[in-house]
Amino acid sequence: MASTTASSDLVPRILPYLDRLLIFALLEHLSEQKLYPADVLLQAKYDVMKDTNMMDYISETYKAIHGADATVPAEITERRNEVLEKLAEFEKKAEKILEIVRNPEVVNALRSDPAQNFSYVKENYGVTPEMVDILYHYGKFQYNCGKYTEAAEHLYQFRMLSNDSEMVISATWGKLAAEIVTLQWENAVSELLKLKELIDQKNFADPLVQLNHRTWLIHWALFFFFNAENGHEKLTDLFLSPAYLNAIQTSCPWILRYVTVTVLTSRNARKTSAGRSSTYATYQKQIRELVRVIKQERYEYSDAVTDFVYALYVDFDFEAAQTKLAEAAAVVKTDPFLVGSADEFLESARHLVSELYCQIHQRIDIRDLSARLNLSPEEGEKWIVNLIRDTRVDAKINFSEGTVIMNHPPQSVYQQVIERTKGLSFRTNQVLAHMLTTRSATVNGAEAGEVQE
Amino acid sequence: MSRFFAGGSSDSETESEEELYSESEEERSEEELSEEEGEDDESTEEDESEAESSDEDEGRGFLKAGAKGSAARFLRGEESEESDEDESKRIVKSAKDKRLDEIDAIIRIIENAKKINDWVHISNEFDKLNKIIAKATQQGETPKLYIKAIAELEDFMNETIKTEKDSKKKMNATNARALNSIKQRIKKNNRQYEDLIAKFRADPDGYLLEAEEILEPVAPVKLRKGAEFEAAAAAIRPGAAAVAVEDTGDAAFATIGRGGRTITITPESIFKQLRSILEARGKKNTDKAEQIRNMERMLDVAVTVYQKIRVLLVLVATRFDLTSSAASFMPVNQWKSAQEEITKLLAILEQNPLYVVQEDAEEVDDDEQEPVPKDGKPLKVFGSIVSLVERLDDEFTRSLQNIDPHTPEYIDRLKEESALYSTIIRSQVYFERVKLDSSANRVLVRRLELLYYKPEQLILTVERLAWSSLPKGVESQITPYSEDQDASRLINAICVKLYNQDNRLFRTRAMLCHVYHHALHNRYFHARDLLLMSHLQATIHTADISTQILYNRTLVQVGLCAFREGMISESQQALQEICGTGRVKELLAQGIQMQRYAQTSPEQEKIERQRQIPFHMHINLELLECVYLTSSMLLEIPFMAQSGSSPDAKKKTISKPFRRMLDYHERQVFTGPPENTRDHIMQASKALAAGDWSTARELIRAIKIWDLIPGTDKIKEMLGEKIQEEGLRTYLFTYGQFYETLSISSLASMFDMSEGKATALVSKTISNNEIAAALDQKTNAIAFIPGVEYSRLQNLALALSDKAVQLIDSYKYR
Repeated sequence: MASTTASSDLVPRILPYLDRLLIFALLEHLSEQKLYPADVLLQAKYDVMKDTNMMDYISETYKAIHGADATVPAEITERRNEVLEKLAEFEKKAEKILEIVRNPEVVNALRSDPAQNFSYVKENYGVTPEMVDILYHYGKFQYNCGKYTEAAEHLYQFRMLSNDSEMVISATWGKLAAEIVTLQWENAVSELLKLKELIDQKNFADPLVQLNHRTWLIHWALFFFFNAENGHEKLTDLFLSPAYLNAIQTSCPWILRYVTVTVLTSRNARKTSAGRSSTYATYQKQIRELVRVIKQERYEYSDAVTDFVYALYVDFDFEAAQTKLAEAAAVVKTDPFLVGSADEFLESARHLVSELYCQIHQRIDIRDLSARLNLSPEEGEKWIVNLIRDTRVDAKINFSEGTVIMNHPPQSVYQQVIERTKGLSFRTNQVLAHMLTTRSATVNGAEAGEVQE
Repeated sequence: MSRFFAGGSSDSETESEEELYSESEEERSEEELSEEEGEDDESTEEDESEAESSDEDEGRGFLKAGAKGSAARFLRGEESEESDEDESKRIVKSAKDKRLDEIDAIIRIIENAKKINDWVHISNEFDKLNKIIAKATQQGETPKLYIKAIAELEDFMNETIKTEKDSKKKMNATNARALNSIKQRIKKNNRQYEDLIAKFRADPDGYLLEAEEILEPVAPVKLRKGAEFEAAAAAIRPGAAAVAVEDTGDAAFATIGRGGRTITITPESIFKQLRSILEARGKKNTDKAEQIRNMERMLDVAVTVYQKIRVLLVLVATRFDLTSSAASFMPVNQWKSAQEEITKLLAILEQNPLYVVQEDAEEVDDDEQEPVPKDGKPLKVFGSIVSLVERLDDEFTRSLQNIDPHTPEYIDRLKEESALYSTIIRSQVYFERVKLDSSANRVLVRRLELLYYKPEQLILTVERLAWSSLPKGVESQITPYSEDQDASRLINAICVKLYNQDNRLFRTRAMLCHVYHHALHNRYFHARDLLLMSHLQATIHTADISTQILYNRTLVQVGLCAFREGMISESQQALQEICGTGRVKELLAQGIQMQRYAQTSPEQEKIERQRQIPFHMHINLELLECVYLTSSMLLEIPFMAQSGSSPDAKKKTISKPFRRMLDYHERQVFTGPPENTRDHIMQASKALAAGDWSTARELIRAIKIWDLIPGTDKIKEMLGEKIQEEGLRTYLFTYGQFYETLSISSLASMFDMSEGKATALVSKTISNNEIAAALDQKTNAIAFIPGVEYSRLQNLALALSDKAVQLIDSYKYR
C-alpha cells in the first residue's frame, strides 16, 4: 500500500500551483492523514511559512522542530517586530478610508459599478485613488499575517472601488484564498465563479498567461473537495467547460484524476436534484466526455483512477476494471483532496460497473457480478436488489439458479423519435428570437446608415 | 580586316586571300551589318575601339582557325581554301580597291538620280553607300570619294529644298517624304565628317589628289599564347569583348579588354575594376566568364582584407549571375567554386573580427582610398552573406531537381550536401557572432530544412561531418555541438529559436519540420499535439505553395507514424485528406501528374517542375498507398457489414477511393492471383468481408512493401491482430441475424483469440449499440435479440428527426 501511495501521490505536482497559505492548509490536512512522517511535514510547514508574516506561528513551528527550549533565531524576532510596526503603519494609513467605507450610508450607496462608486466617494468624502490602493496593500499584508477575515473584508471593499483590472484580479485571488483558508465555502464558490469570469473575459496579450491563470484556478478549486456537499456540481462544470478541459490537457493532466472522481460522484449529488432523466442524460454525456479526454491523454498521464475508467469504457475488460478499482480505491483513500469522497467514489464506480454489466448481459451470475464489484455474494445480492429498486434497470432475480435475468426491450421507435425531437421546439424558438434580434439590429443599422447619408 | 592581320603577316599574297575571305564574309554579314550601322558610325570617331561587326568577324575567324592550331590558320580560313580553286579565274583585286569601285558606282547612281530629282532613289543609294563606307572606315581612312559625294549631296539637297520652297509646284508625296528623311540623315552623317568635308570644301581638287597611299595605321595589338587561347576562344561568344591574338614570341600574358586595352591588375586598381564590373552587370554584352577570370586573378593580387572581402563578394555574386535562365541549373564546378569562395569569405571574416559584412552598411564611393576599421570599431562592408548562402542552397536543390536521380551523378551531387551544410553552419556562427539575428534565422531555416526529413542516425552523421570540417574555435550558441549529440535536441533547439522570432513563415515552417521530425521517429502524440496546437489547418490554405507542400508531407508522415504505432483510424484520418484526392503526386510535389482534360501551359509546367522535391526526400508513394488502403480496409469492411443493406449504406463511406477500387475489383469476371499491392489488399478485403480472416491476414502479410518500414515483423503482427478483431466484428455484423445464440468459446476459436478478448470485443460492440444482442453468462453465449424491423414510415421519421437536429445544430449564433 505504501508503494502505491508514494507513486500515485500527486501532492508534489500540485504544490507549485498553490499559494503559500493554501499549501499550509494542505499540509495541515496531510498531518491529519498521517501519510507522511510528522517531522517532515513540520519542516515543510516551516519552510512554507518562513517568508510569510505569521511570525508567532513561525517561532512555534521552529520550536516544534528543534525542541521546545531551542531559542528562536534573532532574525525571526526581528522580523516579528518589523511586521508589527508595518501593521501599525498600515492601520494608521488605512484608518480614514476604512472609516468611510464602513460608514453605513456609504455601504448603502455602493452599487456594482466600481467607477460609479469611486466617483461617489470621491465627491462626497474626498477619497483619492491612493487611498483605495492602500486598502489593497493593507488587505494583502493582513492576508500574509494570517488575518484572513479582515483581509477578505478589505479586499472586498477595494474591489468595490477600484477599476484597475490587474489589481482587481489580484484582489480576487487574495479573497478566494482567504475564503478557502477560513472555510467560507459559500463565499469561496462565488469568488471562484467571479474569478473564472474575470479570466475568461479579460483579453490577455499572451495566451500563456491566461493558461497559467486557469491552471491556478483549477488547482485552487481542488480545495472544494474538503467540502463535498456544495462544490461538486460547480466543480464538474468548471472542469468540463471546454476552456478548462483544454487547460487541464495542456498544462496539468494529473488533474484528470480529480475530474474523474468529481464526474463519477456527481451522480449521487444529482440524485437529490429534480428532473432526474435529464440529469441522467447529462451525466452520460459527461462520462463520454471524460472517457474521450482520458483516452487522449493516456500517453501523458494515467493512474489507477483513470485506468479504471479506461478499462471499463474503452477495453470493456471487466476483470481489469475490477483490479483497477481496488487500486483506485486505495489511491483515493490516500489522496489528501479525495479522502473525503472515497466511499462515494467507490459506490459510484460500482454503479457504473453494474450498469454497464447489465446493459451488456442478458443473464448474469450473481456470484460473478459480486466478484466484479469486490463484494461478497450476499452483499452482491443486496446490491443488485437495490440497483433494481433504484434505477431503471429492468431485471428479475432467479434465486434457484442464482442469476439475474435482464430484460432488454428494444427501444420503441416512437420513444426514439420523442427523445430526439425533445429539445427541438425550444431551440427553434431560441434561434427565432436570435434571428429577430439580429435582424432588427441590422435593419436599424441600415436605417441609421441611410439617415447619415 | 587588314588591321587585324597586320600583326600576323603582311605580304601581298595574304592580301589577296584576305580579300576573298572578306568578300565571302561580307555576303554573309550583310544583314547583320545593317543592324550594326549605328555602332559603326561611332567607330570612326574612336580610333581605338573596334566596331562590333569586325569583332564578330574576328571572333569567327578565330573559331574557325582555332581548329588548326598554327599561325597560318588565320590566313587561310576554310573559305579561303575553298576559294583557292577558282583563284586563277578571278581578277585579283585588293579589297580596298574593290570597295572603292563599289563606292564609285553608287556615287554615279546618286549623280544620275540627282538629275531627275528622284529622292527615293537617292535615299536608298545613300544607305547602301553608308554601309560600305562603314566597312571601309574600319580598315582605314574614309575614302575621299565618299567625302566628295556627301559634300555634294548636301549642297544639292540644300539647293533642292530652297527651290522647293520657291517654286509653286509641289513635289510628289513619296519624293517629298524621302527628301525630308534624307535631310535628317545627311545632316547627322555629315556631322561625323565635318573636318574632312571642311577640308574638301576648302580645296576640292587638291583634296582629292592627296595621295591615297597613306596606309592605315596599324594598331599595336598585344598578343597571347596559343595554349590559353583555346580556352578563351571557347568562352568568346558573338559580340564578346575580349580578343586575344597569338604572338610569335613568348611575350608575357596580358588580358586584353574591350577594344584592345590591356588590363593589368594592381592592388591599387582593384576597386576601380570592381566598380566597372559592377556597372557592367546586367548589361547585354558583358562577358561574365571573363569577369570571373579577372576577379579570380584580382583575388590573388589583393593584399588587404578589405580588398579580399570586396572581391569575394562581387565574385560569388557574379558566379550566381552566370546561370540566370530558370530551366537549367548552375554548373557543378561553378557551384563548387562559389561554395569554396563563400567558405573563404567566412574564414576571412572569422580571422578578422573587425570586418563585418552587412546589408545596411554604406556603400563607399571613393575608389582611391581604402577604408580601415578605426578605434577598434568594426568596419561595415556592404554585402549580404545570407543571400549568397541562400542562393547556394537554392542552386543545390535546383541541380538535384534536374539531375536524373537514378544516375551516379545524382549521388555525387548529393555528397556535396555536407559541404553545403557546413557552410550553412559556418555562416550561422558568423551571424551569431555579429548579432545579425534575422540573417541567423534565415540560415537556421535552411539548416532545418536540410535536416528535418533525415532519420536520427543520418542527422548525427551529417552533424559530425560538418563540424569536423570546420576549424576549431567555431562555436554556436544556439546549437552547440558536442560528441554525444542528440538529434531531437538539435532539432528542438533550432525550432525553439525559430518560434521565438517574428517572421510568421519561418515559424510555420519550423513547426512543420518539427512535427515531421517527431512523426518520423514514431512520437505520434508529440507530433499530433504540436500540429493541433499550431492551428495550421485553418490557415494553411492561405500559405504559399511550398509551405503547403511541406504541410502535406508532414500530414502524411503523421499518418504513417500513426499506422506504425497501430492507430489505424488516426492514420486513416490523417491520410484521407491527401490520399483521398487522387492527386498524391501533385500534393506532395513528387512528380508531375498529368491531369485529364486539364490544360497546363508550358509556363505552369515549368513552375510546377521548380517546386518538385528532390528525389532523396521523397516519401514512398507505393508504401503510402498501401498504408492508406490497408487502414481503409480495416475500417471500411466492418462498417460496410454493419450498415448492411440499409438505404444509407451507399451514401456513407469512410474512404471513397477504397470503395471505388473494391467495386472495380468485384466487377471483374476473372480474378487471378494478386500481383501488386492493390490486388493484395482488394482480395484481402473480400476475404475479410466473407469472414475468412486468416486468408486476409496471409494476403496482407504477403505484401512486399512492408519491408520498407523499420520493424516489419512488428507491423505484420499488429496487422494480423487488427485483422482478427475486425474480422470478428465483421462476422458478427454479417451473420448475427442468422443466429439466436452464439457461443463465445466457438467464436473465440473461430478467430483464434482468447475468450476474454472475444468477450471484451463483443461487449464493446454491444455497448456501442452496434449490434442488438446481449451476453448470457450462464451459457457463455451471445444471445441475439430478434431485430425489430421498422416500417418505411418509421425509418423516414427517424431520418427526419435526425436531419432536424442537424439543421438546428448548424445554426450559428453570431
